[in-house]
Amino acid sequence: MSSIDPTEVFRQEAAELFETLEGALLDLCQRPDDRELVDSAFRALHTIKGSGAMFGFDKVAAFTHEFETAFELVRKGEIKPTQALISVALAAKDYIRALIEAPESTDSIIGDAILDDLKQFVALPGTAAEPGQSAPMPQAPAARPAAHAGWRLYLEFDSHILCNGSNPLDLLDDLCKLGSCFAVPVIDGIPMLEELEPDHCYLKWDVTLHSDCGRAAIDDVFMFVQDEMKLTLAPLATQAEAAAPEVALQIEPLEAATVAEVAPAVEAAPARATEAAAKAPAAAEQRRDEPKRNEGIATVRVQAERLDELMDRVGELVIAQARLTQLAAAGSDLSIKMIAEEIERLAASLRDTTMGARMVPIGSLFGRFRRLVHDLSRDLAKPVEFVTSGEDTELDKTMIECLADPLVHLIRNAIDHGIEDSPRRAAAGKTENGRIELTAVHSGAQVLVTVKDNGGGLNTARIRAKAEEQGLIAPGATLSDHEIHQFLFHPGFSTAPTISALSGRGVGMDVVKRTIENMRGTIDLATRPGQGTTVTLRLPLTLAIIEGLLIRVGGGRYIIPLSAVEECVELMPEHQRSRGRNFLNVRGNLVPFLKLRELLQVPGSPELHQKTIIISTGESRVGLVADQIIGNHQTVIKSLSKLHSDVTIFSGAAILGDGTAALILDVAQLVAAAQAQSEKQIYEAA
Amino acid sequence: MAEPTESRRPPLRLPQDCSIAAIRGVYDLIRDAFSRQDSLEIDCSSVAKADVTSIQLLLSTAKTGQARGRQVVLTAFSQSLRNTLRRAGFTSEAMAGHPFNEKKDGEQWPPS
Repeated sequence: MSSIDPTEVFRQEAAELFETLEGALLDLCQRPDDRELVDSAFRALHTIKGSGAMFGFDKVAAFTHEFETAFELVRKGEIKPTQALISVALAAKDYIRALIEAPESTDSIIGDAILDDLKQFVALPGTAAEPGQSAPMPQAPAARPAAHAGWRLYLEFDSHILCNGSNPLDLLDDLCKLGSCFAVPVIDGIPMLEELEPDHCYLKWDVTLHSDCGRAAIDDVFMFVQDEMKLTLAPLATQAEAAAPEVALQIEPLEAATVAEVAPAVEAAPARATEAAAKAPAAAEQRRDEPKRNEGIATVRVQAERLDELMDRVGELVIAQARLTQLAAAGSDLSIKMIAEEIERLAASLRDTTMGARMVPIGSLFGRFRRLVHDLSRDLAKPVEFVTSGEDTELDKTMIECLADPLVHLIRNAIDHGIEDSPRRAAAGKTENGRIELTAVHSGAQVLVTVKDNGGGLNTARIRAKAEEQGLIAPGATLSDHEIHQFLFHPGFSTAPTISALSGRGVGMDVVKRTIENMRGTIDLATRPGQGTTVTLRLPLTLAIIEGLLIRVGGGRYIIPLSAVEECVELMPEHQRSRGRNFLNVRGNLVPFLKLRELLQVPGSPELHQKTIIISTGESRVGLVADQIIGNHQTVIKSLSKLHSDVTIFSGAAILGDGTAALILDVAQLVAAAQAQSEKQIYEAA
Repeated sequence: MAEPTESRRPPLRLPQDCSIAAIRGVYDLIRDAFSRQDSLEIDCSSVAKADVTSIQLLLSTAKTGQARGRQVVLTAFSQSLRNTLRRAGFTSEAMAGHPFNEKKDGEQWPPS
C-alpha cells in the first residue's frame, strides 16, 4: 500500500504551477497586453492559494492572497504589467516557493517588503491604463525622450564575482553616466549569517535607466563581466509593442533565467533580433501557440547526478559492446558481426553525446580572468600581458566551476608576488610588460591547466627561512627545493611581509591545494630564479571514456590514451641490445624510449619483435616499448581505489571485453618516474 | 552553539576597513558578538572602506536578528558607508528601512 504524503503532492503540484506562473510573468514582459497570459498567471496564483490553504500552508495562502489582490488590478486592466511590477511579482513567486519548500529559511520581513513593493506599484499614479492608451510604463518625466525612454535592466551577478576583483557598484556608477539611473537593490538572496559567505555577491539590482543610449553602450559597461552575470535588458518605451522589431532586441527573461550561460545569449541577441524582426508581422497570430512551440526547443536543466547516472550506463553499454564485438570476432556469423559493428558505432555516438552534455569549454572560465588581470595590473602598477590558450579544451562543468577559485588565487599570486615592478624588470633586462599565460590542454586522461608567469621566480631561501621561523622544519634540515616549495601550500604560510587586500594571509595557496585535491587533481610547481614560475594543475577527466591503444606487456594488458600516441614503430634488435640511455632513430630524429617490461618489472624474456609506441608528453617525444599492440579500444575509465592513490603511473583501469581489467598508463607520470629512476641510478653509480 | 549570556553590552564598533579585503574578519566579529549578546548595537561611525560585502553583511545580520527575535540596531553611519549604500541603490527610506530596526536617538538607518 502506498502512503503518499499529501503535502508532498501539494509541493509537486505547486512546482508545476510555479513554472506556469513564472512562464506567464516572463511572457508578460514581452506581451503586456496579452490577456491570456494575465489570466494564466492569475489562475496559477489562485490555485496555489486554494491548495495551500487546503494542505495547511497558511502562510502561503495568506501571502498569495495579498499577491493575488494586487495582481487583480492587472487582471481588471486597471494597471499594466510593467517590467518593474513583473520583477516584484517574480520575487513574490520566489518567496511563495520558499514558503513551501523551505519555510524555516524564509523571513516574513522579506514577504512584507515584497508586498509593500507590490502595493507601491499598484498605487502608482499614472500606471492606470487609460482606454486606448498603448504606453504601459509608469508616468514618464517630461524630460524623457518620447521615442526611446530608456532601458530596464535586471542585474544578477555570479556569487564569486567580488573575489574576481569586479565591483558591481562601479558598474552601477558607469550606468549612471549613461543617463538618469534608478537602481533598486533586490535583497531576497541575502542569506542568514550562518550561511553567508562574506565575499560572495548576493545582491541583485533592478535598474531603470532613462537614457537615449543604444544597447551597445550598456553592453560596454558589462563587457568585462558578461560571463559572470545574468543581464536582462528591455527598452522602456517599446514594451507594449510586442510585434514591433525593437521588442526582439530584448533578451527574453525566460531564456535568461533558464539558460545557464547567459553571455552567449547576450551576444546572440542581435542575430535573434534580425530573425525575430523578419517574423514580426506573423507574430500576433502566433502568440498563443508560442509557449507550446517553445517547449520543443527550450533548454532543459538536468541534475548533474542524472548525467552521472547516464554516463555510468553508457560506460556499462560500452563494456558490453566490447564483449559482443569480441564474441562476434571469434565466430563466423557475418550477420552477428554486422550487428556488432552497428552497435559499436551507436555506442560510440551515444558516448560522445553523453560526454558532450556535461562538457563545456574552459574558455568560459578563462574569460573572467581578463578583468582580474586588468584590474590588478592597474592597481599594482605592473603592466601585465595576459595570454590564454586552449580555450576549447573541454572539461566537466562541475570541475570548471570548482577551478575558478584556485585560478583566481594563482593569478593574483603571479601578479602580486611573481611579476616584478617595472624598475626591477628593467634592471633585470626584461621587457616592461610582465606576462601571464593561462593554458589548458588535454594530456591523456587528464587536463593540464597551467598558470605561467615570467616574473622573478620563487625565493626558495625566503620560503625556507619562513618555514624555519614558523617551526615547520628544523633549522638546517636537508630538504630539496621541491620539498621547500611545498610549504607554500601549508595553511597560513606566507612570505609576504605585509598583509594586503591581495595576499599575505597565507590562505590562498592552501585553498588552491585543498580544492585541487578535492577534485582528485595534483599541483606541479616549477620555478626558475629570475625567469618565472609555472603552476600546473593536473585534473582528471571525470566520467571520461577515452579512445585508448590496448597493448600487452608480458601477460598484462595496458591502455595508452590514444590522444598521446603519435605513431608506432618496430623495435629493431640492435636497439634492444643497447646499454645506458636508449634512443631510437625515427626518420633522422633521436627519440628516447623506455622499456615497459623493465618499468613495470615484468618477469620473463621479452618478445623477439617488440613494438615501440611513440608518445608525446608536452614538448618531448618518448617511445614506450611493449610486447604487442593489440589495437584501439574504447576505454571506460574506472578510478583506482584510494589504496592505490600513491601509484601515480596509472590513471585508472578499464574493463575489457573478456571481463579482465587493463590498467591505463599515465604517460606523463610514467616518463617522470622513469626519469627519476634513471637519475637515481646515475647518482648511485657515481 | 553557545546561548547568549548577556543582554547589555557596549555597541560593537565596526573597524575602518569593512571592504572585501577585511570582510571575513568583520564577519567573525559580528558572529562572535551575535553569539554572546541578546541584542546587538552596531556602531558604523568608523567605517572608512565599505563595499557590497559590507552592505550584505549588515543586511544578513539584520535579517538573522529578525528571524531570531533579537534586536539589531545600526547606528552612526559614516559618510563612506552612506555613500556606498547610496551607490548600491539604498536611497529610499522605504527600501532601506525594511531590514533594520531603527534607533530613536542618534543617527540610524536609513540615513537621513
